[in-house]
Amino acid sequence: MIKELIFYSFSSVLICSSLAVVLFRNPVYSAVSLILSFITSGFLWLLLEAEFLAIVLILVYVGAVMVLFLFVIMMLNINEEKEKSSFNSIAPFAVFIGLIIVIELITIIWINSSQFSNSSAVIQQSSQMGNTLLLGTELFTNYILDFEIAGFILLLAIIVAISLTLRPRKNLKTQVTSDQVNVDPKKRMKLIDMKDTK
Amino acid sequence: MLTLQSYLTLGAIIFSIGVIGIVINRKNIIIIMMCTELLLIAVNFNFIAFSYFNQDLAGQIFVFFILTVAAAEAAIGLAILVALYRNKKTIDVQELKSLRN
Repeated sequence: MIKELIFYSFSSVLICSSLAVVLFRNPVYSAVSLILSFITSGFLWLLLEAEFLAIVLILVYVGAVMVLFLFVIMMLNINEEKEKSSFNSIAPFAVFIGLIIVIELITIIWINSSQFSNSSAVIQQSSQMGNTLLLGTELFTNYILDFEIAGFILLLAIIVAISLTLRPRKNLKTQVTSDQVNVDPKKRMKLIDMKDTK
Repeated sequence: MLTLQSYLTLGAIIFSIGVIGIVINRKNIIIIMMCTELLLIAVNFNFIAFSYFNQDLAGQIFVFFILTVAAAEAAIGLAILVALYRNKKTIDVQELKSLRN
């Protein structure tokens, strides 16, 4: 009973904050309501016994990604006057498309409901092994290659982000190796015949 | 009683809100990226719900990798956005049409 109460209250908070992400005109408000929806979905994942992923969601997303979003929003200094011209003629069309998507998905989910295993058949995970231990064991044995690839993707993201935003400073005195290698020795020194002036 | 269907319905609602946000928003690229994060959250919801109700840990592993790739994607997207703002002085979707024609 208490689980249902938690689920319905938290999911209504999640839906309202996701709507707020879409409907707010100020991007800072959108980012803050996106933080709220991340935290709420983290709590809902706790209800599904995915404790490690819930904590990772809150730490990584709220702690790193959303802070990055807020940094970029404040750094770009988007002027407020142009924000007024939103919600144009495409809005009812967009709402129509979204309603069609949600009606289709919910219809398929509830028509095929007999194929899903029901929650009454759920066996509790072995309580002496926590979720983090199970996940780590699985991750470092069967999925080790994928784990390495994920690490490589993160490294790639670091390099790409730096190289996209790095601007070399003007009038910086450094050695340019390619220029040094490509020097033609004939152009360096010129031999001039000079008459004896004496 | 909480069944798998209730979680899947919640995921479907969040997903469609994200789609509406992408279509409705024609001014700011940052909000479009936030709506992409909403879509990813909805997909992760489905994975975790299936993982719980089928007692299979592979769903949670998959969510782990989705979170990793999404963090990398957000970082690269914001870097592209900063570079774009330096060159064009705007991130308005309506004004970024230099590739048109």
